[in-house]
Amino acid sequence: MNPDHALREITRRHFFSRCSLGVGSIALASLMAERGLAAAPTANLRNPFEPKPTHFPAKAKKIIFLFMAGGPSQLELFDYKPKLTDLNGQPIPDSYVAGKRFAFMDSTHRTNLLGTKRTFKRRGQSGAWVSDLLPHTAGIVDEISLLTTCKGELFNHAPAKLFMNAGSGLFGRPSMGAWVTYGLGSECDDLPGFVVLQSGPRGPRGGAVLWGSGILPTTYQGVPLRNQGDPIVNLSTPQSVSVAQQRQLVDAVRELNLKRLIETGDGEISTRINAYEMAYRMQTSAPELMDISGESQTTLDLYGIKDLKETSFARNCLLARRLVERGVRFVQLYDTNWDHHGGPTENLEKHLPLKCLDVDQSSAALVRDLKQRGLLDDTIVIWGGEFGRTPMGEVRESTGRNHHIDAFTMWFAGGGFKAGQVYGQTDEFGFGAVEEPVHVHDIHATLLHQLGLDHERLSVRSQGLDFRLTGVSRAKVVKGLLEA
Amino acid sequence: MHLKFLPVLATGLLIAPSVTHWAEAPRPPKVEFSRDVRPILSQNCFACHGFDKAARKADRRLDTKEGATATRDGVTAVVPGRPEASELVARIFASKEEDMMPPKKSGKLLTALQKETLKRWIEQGATYQRHWSFESPQRRLPPVVPGASHPVDRFIQARLAEEGLTPSRMADSLTLIRRVSLDLIGLPPSPDEVANFVKASAKDPEAAYRELVDRLLSNPHYGERWGRWWLDQARYADSNGYSIDAPRQIWKYRDWVVEALNADMPFDQFTVEQLAGDLLPNATENQKIATGFHRNTQINQEGGIDKEQFRVDSVFDRVATTGTVWLGLSVGCAQCHDHKFDPIEQKEYYRFFAFLNSQEEPTLKVFDSNLDVRALTAEFKETEGKLTELLKQRGDELATWEAGLSVEFKKTLSSELQNALAVPQAKRSLAQNRLLFGSILGPSDGFRVVNDRYTDLDTLLNSGTTTMVMQELPKPRKTTVFIKGDFTRPADEVTPGTPAVLHAFEKPREQPTRLDLARWIVSPQNPLTARVIVNRLWQQYFGRGIVETENDFGMQGTAPSHSELLDWLAVEFLERKWSLKEMHRLIVTAHTYRQSSSDRPELRAKDPNNILLARQQRLRLDAEIVRDVALAASGLLSPKLGGPPVYPPIPDGVMGQGQVKRAWTVSKGEDKFRRGIYTFVYRASPPPSLNVFDAPDGYSSCTRRLRSNTPLQALTLMNDSGFFEFATALEKIIQKDGLDTAFRRCTTRAPRPDELAVLKELDTLNAARALLNLDETLTRE
Repeated sequence: MNPDHALREITRRHFFSRCSLGVGSIALASLMAERGLAAAPTANLRNPFEPKPTHFPAKAKKIIFLFMAGGPSQLELFDYKPKLTDLNGQPIPDSYVAGKRFAFMDSTHRTNLLGTKRTFKRRGQSGAWVSDLLPHTAGIVDEISLLTTCKGELFNHAPAKLFMNAGSGLFGRPSMGAWVTYGLGSECDDLPGFVVLQSGPRGPRGGAVLWGSGILPTTYQGVPLRNQGDPIVNLSTPQSVSVAQQRQLVDAVRELNLKRLIETGDGEISTRINAYEMAYRMQTSAPELMDISGESQTTLDLYGIKDLKETSFARNCLLARRLVERGVRFVQLYDTNWDHHGGPTENLEKHLPLKCLDVDQSSAALVRDLKQRGLLDDTIVIWGGEFGRTPMGEVRESTGRNHHIDAFTMWFAGGGFKAGQVYGQTDEFGFGAVEEPVHVHDIHATLLHQLGLDHERLSVRSQGLDFRLTGVSRAKVVKGLLEA
Repeated sequence: MHLKFLPVLATGLLIAPSVTHWAEAPRPPKVEFSRDVRPILSQNCFACHGFDKAARKADRRLDTKEGATATRDGVTAVVPGRPEASELVARIFASKEEDMMPPKKSGKLLTALQKETLKRWIEQGATYQRHWSFESPQRRLPPVVPGASHPVDRFIQARLAEEGLTPSRMADSLTLIRRVSLDLIGLPPSPDEVANFVKASAKDPEAAYRELVDRLLSNPHYGERWGRWWLDQARYADSNGYSIDAPRQIWKYRDWVVEALNADMPFDQFTVEQLAGDLLPNATENQKIATGFHRNTQINQEGGIDKEQFRVDSVFDRVATTGTVWLGLSVGCAQCHDHKFDPIEQKEYYRFFAFLNSQEEPTLKVFDSNLDVRALTAEFKETEGKLTELLKQRGDELATWEAGLSVEFKKTLSSELQNALAVPQAKRSLAQNRLLFGSILGPSDGFRVVNDRYTDLDTLLNSGTTTMVMQELPKPRKTTVFIKGDFTRPADEVTPGTPAVLHAFEKPREQPTRLDLARWIVSPQNPLTARVIVNRLWQQYFGRGIVETENDFGMQGTAPSHSELLDWLAVEFLERKWSLKEMHRLIVTAHTYRQSSSDRPELRAKDPNNILLARQQRLRLDAEIVRDVALAASGLLSPKLGGPPVYPPIPDGVMGQGQVKRAWTVSKGEDKFRRGIYTFVYRASPPPSLNVFDAPDGYSSCTRRLRSNTPLQALTLMNDSGFFEFATALEKIIQKDGLDTAFRRCTTRAPRPDELAVLKELDTLNAARALLNLDETLTRE
């Protein structure tokens, strides 16, 4: 057997096995080295998603972020303020609003307090307040840390969403999912490391930059899995091409690329060979992932999925579980239309309850399902939006509330977050924090910490600056949210 | 000498080149401040002991000799010649945590070698030097190297000789013609061009190559290829960005760039027209179009926003972009505080900001240059008169028709027609009458001739092309410092001015304008611009600049790998009257450029990242050129230059990804097959086939593209309907002219028998697809 042929045989066998890409690269490298061919720096043979060491031992490995795009009203859902109801219709004291800026309104323009019409109850052993709009979430309060004092910096949708995702309102910064896959790689060799799923009437404000990779390589940007057409852009083989022909194509390209690799010694070619193998595997694995017909009726009922094909938040929740099961590092769900200003199609009385119906059961189901499968220990589930809503009402055609960034609610489950607690205390109107304010950057620092990453060390150099998810001013890990 | 390389990013292969960490290399005995000491101080100390007053700790600065040697509370950080008396030495070698510098919580740690370097620097007298890039470039004679005559080669090979390395052999003529064609015009050579070049090279390789370079530099596709290089820096795209991302018209600016480069407009003029073309005496339309450079900022159209906030943001972007593109400095850092590393005060930032804070942002209506607007306007008036007269004369015909209409029939008419009919005949507008007549008259009626001409003229004159430009306000806006960069917190008022660390700004008038700023930038006294631009040219040819941090020539940037060569090129650039084409010619005629890119065993140990350039570098093509090469190989490419952006096919559902769903009507005819530079780019939902190959997003200036290598690229090349169409066309070429020809069209070279054997196992369509998917097809070797 001539040496070229031997090499080809070994690599063929190697590539046909479904071993991890990283190991594959190393095998190829040593093979090349043995033949004195391309002892290119081993770094050049590495798969960008190869799992990387953490800065310190990790409590969690994966994140699922359920993003309620538009800004859900914490005052109708979690942050119970009877005082608001008592003083309903009265002006908010000046001391609260002096010097503040709000979207769509001038702070000198007086607005009145708005009491909620929802009924609140204490739930579970933790006694957390949850309103009647979220009966299923009420059932999992003992699994979650409910954080009522989140604080952002920007009050318009797109910049605030970017801020929640990328720690900056400026376009062009890496999103959290990009940072995490950049920092840790992915444990999945046939799906992207960072996946985005969407539901609701339209895309989230800001669009693809919300899962962009900014100054990081595009490899790390989120890949939207779509419910219509190909789940991934250009995933399916062109119609007139058979599966066998596609495999022949991939094999031929690999063989010719390998020859060029031997000729030039350029490690980029081996990266490309790996990329084609992963692409080919994705062609099978992504449709498999999207096909939920094999899930039991019990599971479908748990999430409240009636139509197996129809796009819904519930279906996306189930897909999220299937993704983390397969080792995907970061999954983000966007559900749009949580912007309840009080317009004809966006008020608190009629439309907020409908949104809650869309997400309540399945959000809770996801936590329960992950738990029963033993996945919750190393998966963090996050629920929240880009900001909350004002204690003052906004009267358009009907009642609503404006954007509010001083105190809003999010919850966290699994991955070492303390189960069954309410963290932080807001004032009597729910306007700002009186205890334990938690800045968005602190949330980022805490999430990275659970993944074994030091937010100050996870940085990248661009334009003469070291960029971090948590920005320049010091962020802190919120230990109180975490298990000891 | 052993060189140690530390990658700047831990990703290795994704960002092909890595930074040389010169501070890590063993040093010759004499410590040099700029080369050896400042990088250590800048990286580890300046954040708290540097230029930024507000951040300074213990009132101690180490960025100046005065600061370092001053005695405070009986303590002196640096006592020249006496390391044992220097507090700095005591602190960096301290073992107790509370004494240690840098402090543990900073996360910074000096290596033993770095500590030793600082100690020796003090021992040798602690001399300071100004940062290299703030000093004017010096013309140095290229070293004499046997066998090398080209000045570039003499610099490169002298350095290689120090390491005991030799350059690689000349690349073969096929590699060479493909390389230089892709680099200069962004297209592969045609089979005829290849044959001619090979023939001519056999006779006289030097003459053949020189002639080839001349021909490519005068090819109009040159302007497209290098225009895209500039458009990256100008953050050009075809939409407004942010969440609404509505389309905009600014492609006239794109065409201006392409044409200016093709005409080899001197770079100083190129600069002045873009920054301040509107302020030139008797500014021409073209000079106004050029000011589109700074209109490539985003516009936020979201509801409920504070407009002033986003106007200020766009000025911030203009300041940062001007700093990055022309000065290679991160001036943007001084937006919120004094710069921590470079000597730029916050107040100076806002003086710079003041130049760019006094503009209106109008839209300019642009007419085709071949259009005689005056004559056409006259004709338009005349036609309008004729039309009105005609309609009056033939009013009865309309009335008769109208009287015969049944109610049911009326309901079937378009809403516009129904609306027109609802208005009494005497009160109808010209537009309504034209609409009604248009629907009742036969195709050859005389009315149509007049009416169609009227429509044409209306389009030509009234809905022609527009482009976004800059215009100075009659009275300048007041500019103040913003505390922490927050526009709601204005502080002291400032007047326009430039940073004191750079060359002097001659104030030609009471209220200096953008024009004065532009002239200051292209002043021969400016130590930065020429270096920054030649470095970015170099980067295109070798994958990495002589200064690796192409957008940071400040103290945090990396030191040049060949500082004398960089200076020599910068001086040449000025002496050659800022001619970009001359600089291209200079670089691509060097052996350093023309040598083979294949890796050599002995280089792997000594220079694995090819910083010393003992070989060329294989580079994956830019996103647009990946498309262009496939189009050219499959024979579909439309060579048409300029004009409105086009809409080649994109995958379903892509345009629904943004907040607002945008239409994408696929272009017809040759517009489907235009070069990548002409594809319409929505910032929020960029075309996937460009995006996956790292085309910039247009959100901020891009001075260097990443070169990623991913499965999504594989999916695009294998499955995208556009690329599949190219493959179908290439299949026809295989069927007609054979595999050998198709292979040559993709890679320029002939296939070897073993390669041909692999391809022959495939059906012709798959063979065509394989050729378009080859790493070699996507790579400039």
